[in-house]
Amino acid sequence: MTELVKKLTEAYGPSGRESEVHQLILEELSDHIDGYKFDAVGNLLVWKYGSSGKKILFDAHSDEIGLVVTNITEKGFLRVDAVGGVLPHTFVGHRVRFGDVVGVAYVEGETEEERKKNWNNLSLDNMFVDIGARSYEEAKNKVPIGSFGVYDSHFYEMGDYLVSKAMDDRIGCAVIVELFKRLNSCPNTIIGSFSVQEEVGLVGASVAAYTLSPDVCIAIDVTDSADYPKAFKRHSMVLGKGPAIKVKDKASISNRMVVEKLVELAEAGGIPYQMEVLTFGGTNAAALQRTRAGIASATVSIPTRYVHSPSEMVCKSDVENTVQLLIEYAMKGV
Amino acid sequence: MYLRDLSVINGTSGDESRVRSFIKQQIQGKVDEVWEDRLGNLIALKKGTKANRKILFAAHMDEVGFMVTNIDEDGTLCFAPVGSVETQVVIGKQVKVNDSIPGVIGFKPIHLQEKDQLLRPPKFEELRIYIGAKNKEEALRIVKIGDYANFVTEYRENGRRASGKAFDDRVGCSVLMDVIDMQQRYENDVYFAFVVQEEVGLRGSAVVVEQVRPDVAIVIEGTIAGDDPGLEKDRWSTHLGEGPAVTFMHTGYVVNQKVFQAILSVAEKHGIPYQFRRRTQGSTDAGRLVRTGPGTASGVISVPTRYIHSPVCMIDLEDYANTVRLIEKILEEGEVFAK
Repeated sequence: MTELVKKLTEAYGPSGRESEVHQLILEELSDHIDGYKFDAVGNLLVWKYGSSGKKILFDAHSDEIGLVVTNITEKGFLRVDAVGGVLPHTFVGHRVRFGDVVGVAYVEGETEEERKKNWNNLSLDNMFVDIGARSYEEAKNKVPIGSFGVYDSHFYEMGDYLVSKAMDDRIGCAVIVELFKRLNSCPNTIIGSFSVQEEVGLVGASVAAYTLSPDVCIAIDVTDSADYPKAFKRHSMVLGKGPAIKVKDKASISNRMVVEKLVELAEAGGIPYQMEVLTFGGTNAAALQRTRAGIASATVSIPTRYVHSPSEMVCKSDVENTVQLLIEYAMKGV
Repeated sequence: MYLRDLSVINGTSGDESRVRSFIKQQIQGKVDEVWEDRLGNLIALKKGTKANRKILFAAHMDEVGFMVTNIDEDGTLCFAPVGSVETQVVIGKQVKVNDSIPGVIGFKPIHLQEKDQLLRPPKFEELRIYIGAKNKEEALRIVKIGDYANFVTEYRENGRRASGKAFDDRVGCSVLMDVIDMQQRYENDVYFAFVVQEEVGLRGSAVVVEQVRPDVAIVIEGTIAGDDPGLEKDRWSTHLGEGPAVTFMHTGYVVNQKVFQAILSVAEKHGIPYQFRRRTQGSTDAGRLVRTGPGTASGVISVPTRYIHSPVCMIDLEDYANTVRLIEKILEEGEVFAK
């Protein structure tokens, strides 16, 4: 599964430009699904039929945060705006990849005071990206206005841990791919939704749920991990203790019955798990639960360090146990 | 062009009836169907010759304005903005309450302001609308809580430029009415939605998808220019005179790549000048249409507009004409939206 995580996290897929990720997923899944389609907004939906008459939708978003080119200076430097919840600090001195072209992000400042001020109040408004172009024309031909960029960052296996950009939420995509590969004669119809544009405001998820009307939705996404020096002390999630069954975050409260079922199945199957209350953030569950006449929805999270940075870190055993828990839910959840 | 008429009509979010009546009156007989829905949206249909697909164009009828929240003992009106308006553009402006009563948003003159006041924009709590009433009782005879107030701005044309109020988004309404006036029939069904309550959170457009089920939607807006001499050019959003602005992303939505490319390809093919909307802040009904129900791939084309959400906006009339032309060509080339 490590290879799959590497492949998916290193793929290029900022919000609205998820097709490379979708193609990789389709290649992986071609022998393991009964059908697939792209809906009106570009979500990739895959499914495997069951006979119970019940439908469970597993959602992971296929997009990642990034930057979008808004302007080009006369000398060929790029101006950029955020795509999703971007922390500008994570881009300073870092490389940004626009398709095949790589650039370097840095901070402007014409005087010592201004430079200090800009570093201390970092904003994309006083940053730029250098793609090595010498003029407006050259830059425009290489990276036109409206091009989307992502961290140019690579996958590493560090003992029990995996590090890469875009673990948020390719790790969720990898979990769903693995789930489909391992599911055999499941009584319930299982749908995988690789949803678009989560990072800019949960765009795809509700459309996916509306299109297929499932009985239950489970979003698989990353969550904050509070196990590094001076991490958020009100949070309990840590790496290595299993999938986090989300009770609440800032955008949704998980359906109580789904949460209880997940806990029951984890206990019965001897699968390690942890409970999660996140004081900020949100997942596609918030959009899924409000679709049509309402859909019972919850989130299962993979605890992740350094979310929204070029080096998001997860624990291998958490990923494996998340797959295990979801297999149990797919088989016995409804 | 209907901008001259549309601009001076008062129609704050939730109070769009005058705008709706005007549009309905003008387009009736030129479309195959026209109806008002429960939220107050006006939707028109021009049937296609083949009806392969349904294309929806949307523009919002509402403008930002004010609402009376309380009446003080001295007969002055407390008020709140409807939609996003900041206080710096309202001080010392004339308004009309209830579409009829002249009022003024006053503020203490420079002579009486403390020095630091000059650096600090006032809060709405500190401002009142003066309608000349001597006391609360007198004011209550003509105004009640919940009444609307609007800027009063004459529409003007000066060479290539037009100025007036509420260009966001009467300019979009006018563009669509011009398209309807062409009386052309295309292969696809074409729907025109003049929607309500965009400025308070993209509300009217939320119920359009269910009624139309479009295959593709294009929102027509009057969008920020920001081509301010105080800003460096690479910080501008759009520039007047460089053509309609095509959006690749705005708050809450990355424009569907196929729709975005289709718009550009039509502009290129027909030599219609265009520019990108080069900042991403701000939202449009496209953000609602894409998320609602089965989802609609949506695009956004805008007439660059200076000083929106203030008493006076300015557009370039060539940009306006090119926006109409671009939509006309998009309709002729309906196949560009084939999936």
